[in-house]
Amino acid sequence: MNENNPNNNSNLKNTLLHKIEEEHVRPHSRMFFKSRECVIWTLWLLSVVVGALAVAISVFVVTHRQYALYEATHANWLTFMVEVLPFIWVIVFGLMAYLAVYNIKHTKKGYRYSVATILASSIVLSFAAGSALQFFGLGYSIDAILGDQMPTYMSQEKIEHQLWQQPAEGRLIGRQVAATVATSSVVVFQDTAGSRWRIEIQELLPADIQLLASGENVRLLGQNMNEQAKVFHACGVFPWMMHREVTMQQMSEQRESFLIRVKELAERTEGSINNLEKDLFVATGGIDRKTMPVCANIAAMRRVAERN
Amino acid sequence: MDAASPQSLTDAEIVAKTLADKQFFGEIVDRYEAKLKRYVARLGVRNPEDQMDVLQDVFLKIYKNLNAFDSSLQFSSWIYRITHNEAISWYRKKNVRPEGHLIADSEELIGFLSAKEDTQDADFDKTINATEVNTALFKIDNKYREVIILRFFEHKEYDEISDILKIPIGSVGTLLHRGKKQLAGELNSEAIRM
Repeated sequence: MNENNPNNNSNLKNTLLHKIEEEHVRPHSRMFFKSRECVIWTLWLLSVVVGALAVAISVFVVTHRQYALYEATHANWLTFMVEVLPFIWVIVFGLMAYLAVYNIKHTKKGYRYSVATILASSIVLSFAAGSALQFFGLGYSIDAILGDQMPTYMSQEKIEHQLWQQPAEGRLIGRQVAATVATSSVVVFQDTAGSRWRIEIQELLPADIQLLASGENVRLLGQNMNEQAKVFHACGVFPWMMHREVTMQQMSEQRESFLIRVKELAERTEGSINNLEKDLFVATGGIDRKTMPVCANIAAMRRVAERN
Repeated sequence: MDAASPQSLTDAEIVAKTLADKQFFGEIVDRYEAKLKRYVARLGVRNPEDQMDVLQDVFLKIYKNLNAFDSSLQFSSWIYRITHNEAISWYRKKNVRPEGHLIADSEELIGFLSAKEDTQDADFDKTINATEVNTALFKIDNKYREVIILRFFEHKEYDEISDILKIPIGSVGTLLHRGKKQLAGELNSEAIRM
């Protein structure tokens, strides 16, 4: 090799200096490099912030949905969560984690850290920030705002509404608008789709009737007796809890109360069946199904009974 | 240029002076041309004309990016990184693979082969045939060859290799270990005593 030949050295040096002079080559400004670094860090920060929002919404969904009355709508908690989990935010979070790693790797000294280290730190940061945001209720707010602004975005409120405004499956959302002559047995109820229903309330507990009479938006669980005549047999009344002020404790209490009420209804139903058996079984040789209470046969009741 | 002898200045001082007076850039060329030419050759750019083309691009890029030089790095690491990237770009532009080349002479190879940085590495026989090792070096994966060249032939420290190749320091050790293993596999059984 002739790499140390001084002629070659001076040739290259002279060629370069000549080229720099002739072509007016200038070093890029310091500001150019600083701006580029700044853009990369800003993009990283943005990815962490969006990741934190995704976490905030996911935390909101998971923490609130653990107290959901899922027996009323689904066979089990798993199938329920599959339907309500905000997969779009899980995808967004994954994407943001990737962008965070990509951006850090492209900073001046980002290459010194392994992908695993950057990924773990970005995830921890997003989780910490996301949990803090949700502590102040931002998860719910962002989800609700997006739901309001974007018709295609399924906010938790929309999902909850979709799950409970299902008359054919024995679930209604709305409020009592009037009592009837037979106040103790039938009230008039308007659901969120605008339909008016005659609600049979014979099997409701006093607390249910009181909640229904408050005129607030509530969720009704029961059975659609006649779609055309709009007759609905109510088995339980539960408050509409999809709003920011609802605390975890309230949700937990609501779930406890739901389970207790279902159990009470089941016991009452069992008692009724026993009485019917005594009165009718010997005389007729069987039970007349029409005389059985309706609530004994609704799906939610059966699911809770099967689980216990 | 001012009266102070450029040879007595550090790389960082030369960079600062070059930003004020481009004539100082000649000193950078003087200091690094031979080293970088050898490095480019080791990376597989075999033809001397091609080597000069790559070097010219390298130095122009160094000049244009002088303000990007981070003084927390060694200047040599920074320019080796630029050289490495330019050599890779050159292959891509020419759509060729690195050509086999005499990476090292016998003396360097002996140094490399007797290096026992990892107790798990094989103890290479010092009488190994230099040509065979050179050939084998060009058969192993590029990512391993690059690290081996920098460590054993350019005599760079782990942190410098990390800065040149832009990889975590931990990965340097891993790549070296795997590279030597792959190299051992490439060498024929006569050349290596496990």
